[in-house]
Amino acid sequence: MAGTAVAPAKVRVKTSEKRGHRSRIALVNAVPVTVFLLVLFVYPIIGVLSLSLEGDSGGFTLHWYTDALSGVNLSVLLSTLRISAETALLSLLVGFGLAHAIARMRPVFAALAMLIVVVPHFISALVRTYGWIIMLGEHGLINSLATSVHAPGAPYSLLYNETGVVIGTTSVMLPYTVLVLQGAMRGVDGRLLAAAAGFGASRLTIFRRIYLPLVAPGIGTAGLLSFILCLGYYITPALMGGDKQTVVAALIDQQVMKQDQWNSAAAFGVILLLLTFAGLGVLGLAKLRRTRAHARRSGS
Amino acid sequence: MEDNRIGRRTVLRTAGALAAATAVTGCGTLMGSGGSRGSSGGGGKNKIVVSNTGGAYNDALTKALYEPFAKETGITVTTVNYQSAQIIAQVRQGRPQVDLMDNTLLIFQKMARLDCLEAVDYDRLKSVKGAGIAEHQLPEHAVGKNVWASLMAYRTDSLKRAPKGWADFWNTHSFAGQRSLQSAEADNPELEFALLADGVPLDKLYPLDLDRAFASMSRIRGEVKKFWNTGALPAVLLGRKEVVMTSLWSGRADELIKQGQPVAYQWNGARRLTNGWGIPKGADNTDAAYKLIDFSLRPEVQAAFAKLFPQGPVVPAATKLLSDDVLATLPTSPQNLKTGFDTDVAWWDKNVEAVAKRWREWADA
Repeated sequence: MAGTAVAPAKVRVKTSEKRGHRSRIALVNAVPVTVFLLVLFVYPIIGVLSLSLEGDSGGFTLHWYTDALSGVNLSVLLSTLRISAETALLSLLVGFGLAHAIARMRPVFAALAMLIVVVPHFISALVRTYGWIIMLGEHGLINSLATSVHAPGAPYSLLYNETGVVIGTTSVMLPYTVLVLQGAMRGVDGRLLAAAAGFGASRLTIFRRIYLPLVAPGIGTAGLLSFILCLGYYITPALMGGDKQTVVAALIDQQVMKQDQWNSAAAFGVILLLLTFAGLGVLGLAKLRRTRAHARRSGS
Repeated sequence: MEDNRIGRRTVLRTAGALAAATAVTGCGTLMGSGGSRGSSGGGGKNKIVVSNTGGAYNDALTKALYEPFAKETGITVTTVNYQSAQIIAQVRQGRPQVDLMDNTLLIFQKMARLDCLEAVDYDRLKSVKGAGIAEHQLPEHAVGKNVWASLMAYRTDSLKRAPKGWADFWNTHSFAGQRSLQSAEADNPELEFALLADGVPLDKLYPLDLDRAFASMSRIRGEVKKFWNTGALPAVLLGRKEVVMTSLWSGRADELIKQGQPVAYQWNGARRLTNGWGIPKGADNTDAAYKLIDFSLRPEVQAAFAKLFPQGPVVPAATKLLSDDVLATLPTSPQNLKTGFDTDVAWWDKNVEAVAKRWREWADA
């Protein structure tokens, strides 16, 4: 309570000094976390990296990388990227609609809707995927409905192909995109939209020129998040895909668990990690460009 | 006040980090306790840590084997669900955290090749002598215990007549409908079935003719809805009418049949694989391990397990203790022994990597 009694002028004198003190304390605070990360995160990753560069009988080699980036392994990598991109796109589209609706709901209903989006996450992925069979199978809910109304082309193959995988992974990623997007949408100042409307902008223009740019960072983060998560995701593609939807994570599992091939698995792991970093780099670059553009605009 | 708040935050943060650190070391000791249990030697000889694949298999083993064993010897069995890759890694670190492994002879073949298993001292196993266990079930580094199989199951309501073997499974003309086969992700792909369908006789399967097997696989591929990759999936597909025929692991359709679904097994051409015991290198509670192995091979214990879980005994005397109803569900009934074949673990161990690669290329094409 003593602090509040101090005269304002005195406080101002102290702030810069205090800030330095505070940042020094923050550094000290960061030590346990840094040590924690170094021991449990950085050290294992260095271990994986060195495994991936080690030949069968020791010594340095790039063999595991050339093997991972050629032939059928490359095609597995590419299909992983493709599935992740498709999932990111679809979960953004669905997530945007959902988050937009939730952001405009009354708090009670919004909480309820969020619960419905998130709760399936607490159910084991295996059980959830069997649920999808009941939903999407040839005699599943959707196909029985489609055939009963004589929809053209029914029954559809919604499982054991890429459609199945993308449906499955999208449902898994949806909570992340919705949560991120909702945060971004909550931060939009309604007065800006009202002002635009006051100047006679059409709803489409408001959406395109005001709303979308304001939530764009959220869209970028959400899309990238689901892309990155999807890169390492494994159960749903394995259970809902066909034999052409093998993903890198499944390959790593097979190599470690079945073939005792840690070096090759490590190389795949490093490649996934680099792809993740590349994704984060893209996001960082976009942010940098945005702040620069902003600075230029406010400067002129 | 500001300082005060920072102070509190520091405390909170440090506490958080500490809590996390203790959680981690807690995990460490939790995992380590298996090791200390295994290697405590001295006074802790009345405990043994066994790894198995868990689930219903573990439940049946607990009832038929671990509990009676504890009652007789006073040695309690603790089970863990480590996969072989984890135990191999532990052996390489010099501290296997299990005293005894329960796994397939194929895994043990691989672990022996990697020098991760102790050689079996058969002189310490009374139950083996004169028991008539098949020679291939008693390799140098493992002891066979019970036999399971991959076999065919089909829907009786969707097919006009019962498929008699893999040739019928491949015959998409007379037996219309989608099928399912095992993927290389779940276990070794069912190349033997492809060869049997192509006319290779049971006793001429190994060494597998890969070109012929994959050519045969290519013929059925268009009718295969899903190459299943978890043991439970084929029964789900069969039960949901997604497929009319599938391969599956023995016992996996029992639940469907019990529910009265029109599903039946076809044992013709079943691929058998033996589960058994292996002692990881460096495990030092071998006394208890040998006692448990010996106990598990008594005919009455073998029979008790077969009644609870659809895996066949390796000891012929146990077969005589089982009713015909139970025998019909086992890969080692006299009838099923004749129509099926044993996996050549030596061939598979040598070729598993090449087959996995070829499978990926084939699947990708």
